[in-house]
Amino acid sequence: MADASPQIRLPGRNALSGRPAITHANQDGGKPGLVIEELVHLGKLNIRGAADILPGITAQTGCQSLPENNRFVTIGERHLAWLGPDEYLLLCEAGREDEIQTRLRQDFEGIHAAVTNVTDGLCALGIRGGSVRKVLAKGCALDLHEEVFAAGQCAQSLLSHAGITLLATGETRFVLVCRTSFAPYVVDWLVDAALEYGVSYRT
Amino acid sequence: MLLINCPHCGPREESEFSCGGEAHIARPLAENTLTDAAFADYLFLRDNPKGLFLERWRHAAGCRRWFNMARDTVTHEIIEIYPMGSLPKTKAGKVAHAASWRRETAAEAAAKPAKAKAPRAKKENG
Repeated sequence: MADASPQIRLPGRNALSGRPAITHANQDGGKPGLVIEELVHLGKLNIRGAADILPGITAQTGCQSLPENNRFVTIGERHLAWLGPDEYLLLCEAGREDEIQTRLRQDFEGIHAAVTNVTDGLCALGIRGGSVRKVLAKGCALDLHEEVFAAGQCAQSLLSHAGITLLATGETRFVLVCRTSFAPYVVDWLVDAALEYGVSYRT
Repeated sequence: MLLINCPHCGPREESEFSCGGEAHIARPLAENTLTDAAFADYLFLRDNPKGLFLERWRHAAGCRRWFNMARDTVTHEIIEIYPMGSLPKTKAGKVAHAASWRRETAAEAAAKPAKAKAPRAKKENG
């Protein structure tokens, strides 16, 4: 948005603060099969409401239609993901969530809808690499074949018992959203599962 | 492991779901007029049939929505998945619903609105 303020302050800590980077080489040489990065402070808003929230969503995010079941729409840096029949997750630029929440609340006045800031409650990881689907498949029951779980698909599921929201942003790229308190576990599990392919966790 | 077809998310593994027990237990409206024994039918007694069972399930790790399921407790075959607040549409499901001992209880009779004559589907809360 045009009025991006330079005064946005981000909190000093994030979900994975203080954890060292981890690198295990790919045994076959070449790039690591999995690269994990925390999308630090990525803004996250949980939006609930029926179809009448669309005008507000369009005005504040530029999204022209609500995502269909199991899909997300991308508008610039923002993703709006379907979570349930009347529930959506908006991922937005770091530091912008308060402003978007305030505006959405104004737009939703008088309709049965809610916007909740869940930025600190959830941790978003960007995961990518040639083996990313193989690694996820070790702990997730979703059909992760690239033709089934294609770019634009999203799903809430379990990754080794931890609840996750998975957004396929490309054939070998995902955004994985989990609870902040589960983030260290999820990263440790991903690193362990990806040892055979080579893995790089970057801070 | 069951593959459950969530009405909103599509086929997902059973571990994502939680079972909410017997479906179609309607709460008595004027519970103070019921005997304790009749209220206990509603509050405590649950069916445990061998064969087709109408259950409530929730997609706990997914969309977190409730739905009803007609499942065979012997073969684990899922006959039907239908929304909360509605009755089964398959013949086997209808038979299982009608044959339940609960249909004859005073608690269920007391769950009908006073006007009565409402179609059966409306008095159920799943």
